[in-house]
Amino acid sequence: MIEALFLLFGLFIMFFGTLGLLRFPDVYTRLHATAKCDTGGAISILTALAIASDFPLVVKLKFFVIALTIAMINPMVSHAVARAAYKSGIKPKVAVDMYAWDNP
Amino acid sequence: MAEENLLVILPYAVAFLIFTATLVSYRVLFGPTLADRAVALNTATTKAVVIIAMLALLYDAPYLLDISIVLLMVNAVGGLIIAKYMEVRS
Repeated sequence: MIEALFLLFGLFIMFFGTLGLLRFPDVYTRLHATAKCDTGGAISILTALAIASDFPLVVKLKFFVIALTIAMINPMVSHAVARAAYKSGIKPKVAVDMYAWDNP
Repeated sequence: MAEENLLVILPYAVAFLIFTATLVSYRVLFGPTLADRAVALNTATTKAVVIIAMLALLYDAPYLLDISIVLLMVNAVGGLIIAKYMEVRS
């Protein structure tokens, strides 16, 4: 029962991340939507799969290896893409650009 | 086999994730800048990793988990290379 709850939670989180990717106006706000939503949704779904499966324990640990690798890799790639987008001259559509105060 | 409760839901979950990946591919094709395409490609690859992990449970085939781990590492290297390319080109 608890694994179906985890699965539905992860599916809804990933759907809202996709909605944010389609509807937000800017690169940085799209990153804000997708980075957190995809990481959280994937970890929730993989936890549900690890609970529900009856593979042996070593194979069951692989789900958590995938979850940990997603939790390390996804923020790293998002940070690199945001930094490269700012340095290649894409200005964020906001009123106050606080990153430009420190990096003129 | 896994529990019967989840095996009923799981094909619909795979179809739902493929549907959201199709929605993401709009941003890959028509994104205004290269950064948008990089973000959307990262999102679609994460969804593909989760889909392959679901298929490993659905088909009762544990070797598919290794494929998803390798796809995740390729995603990391590819995203970093695209980011470095954008930074150097400017």
